[in-house]
Amino acid sequence: MKPRRRRRWTRWAKRIASHVVLIIACIFAVFPIYFIVVTSLSTLPIAGITAHVLLPNPSQLTLSSYNTVLLHESPSYLSLLENSLIFSGSAAAIGLLLAAFTGFALSKFNFPGRRTFVYFILLISLFPSVVMIIPFYLMFAKLGLIDSYIGLIIPYSAGAVVFSGILVKNYMDSIPDDIEEAALIDGMSRTEAFFRVMIPLCLPVLGLAAFLAFMGPYTDYAYAHVFLTSSDKWTLALGLYNINSSDTGTQNYGLVTSFAIVMSLPIVAFYMVFQRYIIGGLTLGAVRG
Amino acid sequence: MADLRDQTLGFRLRHEWPAYLYLLPTVAVLLVLNAYPIAYCIYISMTDFGTGGRGSLLSYHYIGITNYQFALTTGASTSLALVENSFLWAGGSVVLFLLIGLGLASVLNQPLRGRAIYRTVILLPWAFPAFITLLVWTNMWGYEYGIINSMLNLVGIPSVNWLLSTPTAAWSALFITNIWLSFPFYTVVFLATMQAIPKDLYEAASIDGAGTFSQFRRITLPYLAPTVIFVGLMGFLFTFNNFYPIYLITNGGPGISTQIFITESYNDAFGAHGATPLFSTAAMYSVLDFLIIVCLTLVVIWRTDLTRNWLK
Amino acid sequence: MSGITLQNITKRFKTETAVDDVSLSIQDGEFVVILGASGSGKTTILRIIAGLEVQTTGHVFIGDVLVDDYEPRDRNIAMVFQSYALYPHLSAYDNIAFGLRVRRIPREDDPDRDRHLTHQEIDGKVRGVSQMLGIAEMLQKRPSELSGGQRQRVALARAIVRDPEAFLLDEPLSNLDAKIRSNARIELKRLHQRLRQTFVFVTHDQTEAMTLGDRLAIVNHGRLLQCDTPERTLSHPLNQFVASFVGSPEMVFLEGNVESTGGGFTFVKGPVRIPVRGTGSPGAVTIGLRPWDIRVEKASTPGTLSGRVTGVERLGSSDQLFLDVASPPGASPTTPAAPVSLRALVRAYDFDVGDGVFVGFDPDRALFFNAEGGRLESMSISSPLP
Repeated sequence: MKPRRRRRWTRWAKRIASHVVLIIACIFAVFPIYFIVVTSLSTLPIAGITAHVLLPNPSQLTLSSYNTVLLHESPSYLSLLENSLIFSGSAAAIGLLLAAFTGFALSKFNFPGRRTFVYFILLISLFPSVVMIIPFYLMFAKLGLIDSYIGLIIPYSAGAVVFSGILVKNYMDSIPDDIEEAALIDGMSRTEAFFRVMIPLCLPVLGLAAFLAFMGPYTDYAYAHVFLTSSDKWTLALGLYNINSSDTGTQNYGLVTSFAIVMSLPIVAFYMVFQRYIIGGLTLGAVRG
Repeated sequence: MADLRDQTLGFRLRHEWPAYLYLLPTVAVLLVLNAYPIAYCIYISMTDFGTGGRGSLLSYHYIGITNYQFALTTGASTSLALVENSFLWAGGSVVLFLLIGLGLASVLNQPLRGRAIYRTVILLPWAFPAFITLLVWTNMWGYEYGIINSMLNLVGIPSVNWLLSTPTAAWSALFITNIWLSFPFYTVVFLATMQAIPKDLYEAASIDGAGTFSQFRRITLPYLAPTVIFVGLMGFLFTFNNFYPIYLITNGGPGISTQIFITESYNDAFGAHGATPLFSTAAMYSVLDFLIIVCLTLVVIWRTDLTRNWLK
Repeated sequence: MSGITLQNITKRFKTETAVDDVSLSIQDGEFVVILGASGSGKTTILRIIAGLEVQTTGHVFIGDVLVDDYEPRDRNIAMVFQSYALYPHLSAYDNIAFGLRVRRIPREDDPDRDRHLTHQEIDGKVRGVSQMLGIAEMLQKRPSELSGGQRQRVALARAIVRDPEAFLLDEPLSNLDAKIRSNARIELKRLHQRLRQTFVFVTHDQTEAMTLGDRLAIVNHGRLLQCDTPERTLSHPLNQFVASFVGSPEMVFLEGNVESTGGGFTFVKGPVRIPVRGTGSPGAVTIGLRPWDIRVEKASTPGTLSGRVTGVERLGSSDQLFLDVASPPGASPTTPAAPVSLRALVRAYDFDVGDGVFVGFDPDRALFFNAEGGRLESMSISSPLP
């Protein structure tokens, strides 16, 4: 057999094909985001938006939609934001506490019943969270908790426990037992070692767990739609949905897209800053060699 | 500590009991806020709550498995459609995720100029909360003014009524949107797995005379297989109950041609149009959904070592 | 500081016995090395002393105090882990100070109450220990910024600063490069001589064990086989395992039979026949010889066996020869037998592969073991070889 020569043109063709594929993927990925940004900066009616999106006219760019969304909508953006922070913040705090305890117990103890417990939480986590609204709604209606802060914080907190607990456990598994043992030798009880050594070491994953526990309520519509009847308790997600519905009437995308951008911004910023942690944390269980 | 695994029950109890203290709050939450509602939901599914016309928060009756009998006889066509749609939704999405994710990951795994930029851009959709972008996608699929139809018109293709005309059009819109939401994650996971393959394996293979294709088949694929299977199965379970894409984009339409268990259940209970809430029917569909998922999970546990990480 | 006593310690897991009835008395200020292969149970013994593992039966005393029911933190021992187990989120300084900040001491004005150490007290101790170990300049660095040797010192400092009853060291040198390891060994020995505290050191490396230990406790399959000074374990091993485990290059074993010949006994292994003395009956016997007790000469002298060099391992200052030994010159074996393989340690570059040589050994140095590996103290070689 004759030795094969490296052929230049096939390598070139391969390289160009790769770039083409990636550019198409990038356009697909970016287009909706680009669409959101451009339309949020215009007040053009729906009918004329396409040409502007494909070739933005600088003279048509305006921040007036942002002005309307932030200052002249009812309920006000600030009130929606405040409610969202109350719900998401409480859920993240409670979820985080529970996740840290659960992760520690599952990772560093070998208590009798551990296997049963894991199967138990696995089974429970399989019940689709959206349909849990039905029993919650009926239970809380009897208790008079519908349209109250506490009535929605409770199901939100319950939602994140299993997933974040497993997330923290996986991370703690990667911390050698030695470290905790060194703390025991250094004069600490296991509880002290947990708070003074394990918790500081787990800060990255606890941050991720808190972020995810925050994100759930922040972007939840299904629960909030059912539980919150008075608009003074509405969250950002409800506000966005509401604007989207009424936009169809005004034939103008500007409001819903500028609302979407303002609402996404903190999430996107957090995500960009901690991208590596988030991807690393979430793929920890998925990537196997 | 882990070394006590082989100890007897009494020994472990004596030395590991603090674990129960750490788990106490979680167990309380799980029992009160998960297990009890699930049990309650199962109970509701066996009542005439809402279906009898006299259902109120205070008055409904236990009627056994009547609702389930109804779902399997008179309502069989709806039930069957829900099963088909749920599996099509989850299965179709996952197949597309895997194909696109694997394809892009292997393209990105080459030494290309601008690789880091491509990777960052491809990850962008993932940074935005799905609920928010889904609302925008709904607008983009609009018949009259949606930008997708407008752009099709520009290249001479007539508008398609994506969400309301045919099941095919509605499913296409759903799948494309769902791909946009998920392909970044799959691409990154597969890319990370590919990059974890030791480079010297490829070097050894190329010295042994293996070509690009043969290297992919004999090295890349076997290495990827566990991840692909695991991620694919988890993706299936997740998509099966992924509520928002369908709820926001088609809401099950046209007719019930894209309705899945979870959207049907939500709409039965809290649907608009001022209809009577069909709590018992809604609960029944969610229980059916749960049963299917449990069965699928048992298969997953049996086929893979899903719980390995958890039980280690 | 105080000694440590283990009384009939057994650690059983469901399927196996990790530590099997180990009793060991460690004197105050003594440096004891627990030596064994991986999986021999040596680390488990150390962890039982530390309280990280709880024995199934038996008792642990630290000083005169029975500590079976004490948590690790109440035993006042320090431990250096194989991985060093430094807290990754703390600087070297905080790593060293960590134990001091948790600790409480009796108050001077009221001994019934206790107090934390003051900042000044902690700082003084941390700086003192860091000076002693030469890490004063890197106290602000995180463990990830330190080299292996520096980490090991920080781990040592963390142990020393606490002024514990005893130091437990779990293979603390095994993660170091070969080059700095021998240096670290010497420093550790000096440190012990300076502190005069009780050290229990676990290792699988017999060179470490020999250089460091006042006494070696040799462990295999969870059993304590012998606890003796390095010299005694080398010269008077209690059994074949200790004999083979201690000493480098490893002891040469000849597995043969003792046969009755005339009035006495002869050890027979292939073409090798050695008259032996001592009580005993015919049967399987193993003779053990240190490679450095085997003489290799170019010319025949009385009592030597003729042989051939089959391989040479150049060790630097000396060579280890691999030899095939046949029958003694002049003797004609009744049955031709395969040659016997030996190893001998000789001066470097004296021999080469293929050389014909004559091999002899000092009868007093040969050790005898029975088929179960037990030492046969009463047996010896009776005279120079035929």
